[in-house]
Amino acid sequence: MEAKSKKAGASRLCCLCNLRRPVLKRPKTLQQICRECFYEVFEEEIHQVIVQNRLFKSGERVAIGASGGKDSTVLAYVLSELNRRHNYGLDLFLLSIDEGITGYRDDSLETVKRNEVQYGLPLQIVSYKDLYGWTMDDIVKMIGLKNNCTFCGVFRRQALDRGAALLKVDKLVTGHNADDIAETVLLNILRGDIARLSRCTSITTGEDGPIPRCKPFKYTYEKEIIFYTYAYFKKLDYFSTECIYSPNAYRGFAREFIKDLERIRPRAILDIIKSGEDFRIATTTKMPEQGTCERCGYISSQKWCKACVLLEGLNRGLPKMGIGRPRGVNGDHKMETKKPGSVAKSIESKQCGSLDF
Amino acid sequence: MACNSSGCESGCYDREKDNGSKISVEDVVAGGGNQESVCVKCKCNEPMTFGDGGSEDGKFCAECFRNNVFGKFRLAVTSHAMITPSDNVLVAFSGGSSSRVALQFVHELQIKALKNYEASRDRSLPVFGVGVAFVDETAAFPALSTEMVDAIEWIRSTVSSLSPPAKDVYVVPVESVFGSDSLEARDRLVKLLDSVPDDTGKEDLLLHLKMLSLQKVASENGYNRLVVGSCTSRIASHVLSATVKGRGYSLSADIQHVDARWKVPIVLPLRDCVRLEITRLCHLDGLKTVELACRSQCGINDLVSSFVALLQEENPSRECTIVRTAAKLTPFYFNKIPETDDSNVPMATQRRLKRFNLKYDGSMTTEAFCPICNGPLNRSDSSDLDTFEEGQEADVLYAACCSSCRFQILPEDGSSLEQFSSFLPDHMISQVKHQKVDSQAHLREKIKDCLLLDDEEVV
Amino acid sequence: MQLTLEFGGGLELLCDSEKIHKVNVDLPNGAESDDFTMKHLLSWVRTNLIKERPEMFMKGDTVRPGVLVLVNDCDWELSGQLDTRIEEKDVIVFISTLHGG
Repeated sequence: MEAKSKKAGASRLCCLCNLRRPVLKRPKTLQQICRECFYEVFEEEIHQVIVQNRLFKSGERVAIGASGGKDSTVLAYVLSELNRRHNYGLDLFLLSIDEGITGYRDDSLETVKRNEVQYGLPLQIVSYKDLYGWTMDDIVKMIGLKNNCTFCGVFRRQALDRGAALLKVDKLVTGHNADDIAETVLLNILRGDIARLSRCTSITTGEDGPIPRCKPFKYTYEKEIIFYTYAYFKKLDYFSTECIYSPNAYRGFAREFIKDLERIRPRAILDIIKSGEDFRIATTTKMPEQGTCERCGYISSQKWCKACVLLEGLNRGLPKMGIGRPRGVNGDHKMETKKPGSVAKSIESKQCGSLDF
Repeated sequence: MACNSSGCESGCYDREKDNGSKISVEDVVAGGGNQESVCVKCKCNEPMTFGDGGSEDGKFCAECFRNNVFGKFRLAVTSHAMITPSDNVLVAFSGGSSSRVALQFVHELQIKALKNYEASRDRSLPVFGVGVAFVDETAAFPALSTEMVDAIEWIRSTVSSLSPPAKDVYVVPVESVFGSDSLEARDRLVKLLDSVPDDTGKEDLLLHLKMLSLQKVASENGYNRLVVGSCTSRIASHVLSATVKGRGYSLSADIQHVDARWKVPIVLPLRDCVRLEITRLCHLDGLKTVELACRSQCGINDLVSSFVALLQEENPSRECTIVRTAAKLTPFYFNKIPETDDSNVPMATQRRLKRFNLKYDGSMTTEAFCPICNGPLNRSDSSDLDTFEEGQEADVLYAACCSSCRFQILPEDGSSLEQFSSFLPDHMISQVKHQKVDSQAHLREKIKDCLLLDDEEVV
Repeated sequence: MQLTLEFGGGLELLCDSEKIHKVNVDLPNGAESDDFTMKHLLSWVRTNLIKERPEMFMKGDTVRPGVLVLVNDCDWELSGQLDTRIEEKDVIVFISTLHGG
């Protein structure tokens, strides 16, 4: 254990107000801080991130990607609070995706519906069934448990964009926190995805696409989000089970590593993000070629977008279409994604459940 | 977000199709049972089985295996012009397997060059010289002094077995960077290391001091290249530990084949070889190595090594993928052999160097470097320096360092920082002053158009 | 010693999906009641409450990295982690961060 931190008990009062009993040791600063000061500092820091990075403009319609999990619950609350307190002038909505996974999604949607009532934010639910004609349950019945996360990942990304388009929003906000982004940086290094590596630390992405997305929690520690949820909402009223289709075998080496790292040196999580921001990557890898999908009009660098390719496979009973080397519609392109900056990235590197950056 | 954001990898797609992974399940042989009894390369000899559980076991015969590894070494040397006939090369030898192989290969190159020299009628080109340096860390790890003494003896005998051609051996105490008075230097080293509160920082500072001591012995003894045996695996760990320490900007400087920001440029001829190959080669050729206890790591570095080992178990080509990704980061201008007086270099070599753009022009923009780790500084990191006019030495040091060294090496409070600053080797302190002067000149250059000359009038 | 233990963030799945457990913990042999620390409690929990996959809850002597521990609503990092003294009627919460949201 590194000896840098002061001994616990050296001062028994909150570092900031010096009045109240501390309840949390902030990983970011190693400060001992009381509940009230924590709420203040937590919310103020998010506000500063929003302001310094110019995430929003007054009058914008902003959809919050709400999954019912801890990040989106806190995001919904804090954003609506800051919007009110600092007069951002934003039109906020909750946007939730129903993948059609029985037992998993029903419960999380209940949480989001509760959030709708709690924060007074209008809720829009977009389902895979409506968008694509298939639920995840149907897909898994068809293709089994291999590659199902691929489908889900591609469909979810589009579903959010389409849902946002339906709502006519200007921007999407997601609850990705510092731990998530640090993990993504590491995974992109491990998988050789230099193009994603160059984009994944941007606080706003997709400005040249249909709907830009931003991550106000980019510098917020997961531990603090959880503490905020617990302390503020008094109970763990957020949805927290594993997606039932995600296999147990590969338990996330990178996440485990990050947690081990956080234990020895909490600021390492922000250091990883800083490294990601500072990597010298030629800008040519950043700009993808944009066209539109012939079938559905979504943006795509190929003739058909990924979702359409996958759907074609499902509908034709050829579930492997679009997985691995491209065959079928776009099969003329022999090599998979060797073009710098191609949007159709190696599909194997998509993570289940993670909103694509 | 909705489900475990990292949990799905293995079940959902064919892992083997990962970017860069070329190994399919059948290739990883568990012991014998191989139907092929012929080397896959030459198709005639019987393949070697190392039985170490590593990948690609039982595929190559001994000769093809050795040629493969040596081939990678030689390709690295020639394509980056690492060693030319007029060079004097110092090999950093730690006793470990990578540097042992580096030493062996450099020796073999030297023998071949000697043979060519003796066979040729034109004796104008000298054969490059080779020396061997070992850094003695006893001052930092006093408990290991006996082990160190044995190791040194073993190193001397190993090197003397590699002659002709004879090679000088330099045993460099790491405290030599502080000066020649060994007692005072030792004392200063211990005080310096003790003033670093962070374990990982302490370990990294010692590494920087080791490099400084190697540079010192190389330049004092007329060497113009320093060969370091870092292999792919070592570099993969470095990529991750640098990332985790917030050193993303300077990372690309550390992992190229050539690192010429030092007085004596460093070359990495084994950069494209993985540790497994190197250990197997040592086993095959009976190259003995010695593992010193001070090599064990702590803190962050240890965590990263364990992590990489875990990843390797899961996918044996992971190290290569990590290095390949990092290799796509833009290197710096000094990651090439520098321009020098070319009079001793044969015309053919000069032409090749120019043609492949292997040299950098020293007059190009210079980066500012951190005085402790010598990492190039991101402009945003170094902007503080300009605000310190006649500051305390310690404050100036703080402003001159990269954010990673500031956090993990420099002590927190003012008086400890003053003390720490006083213990630093003179070379590092002069770096700080040098940088400050540079930065003022740089600033002046930027604003000169706005400066009024004495005889201009204010409008 | 009467204690209330809460599990969240997915950890409840390891304890028969029960989030809240009101328990009566026997003190280790010969120990005084003011000698009872988190270290003892963790080992008790592992033996008596964790019904499956204990490696998701603990790693060695302590909780797995990524598990937030609150003792009476206070981060246990403030009270010495494993050395935190546990008293009658204390409420201890374990929240795992290793899941999505």
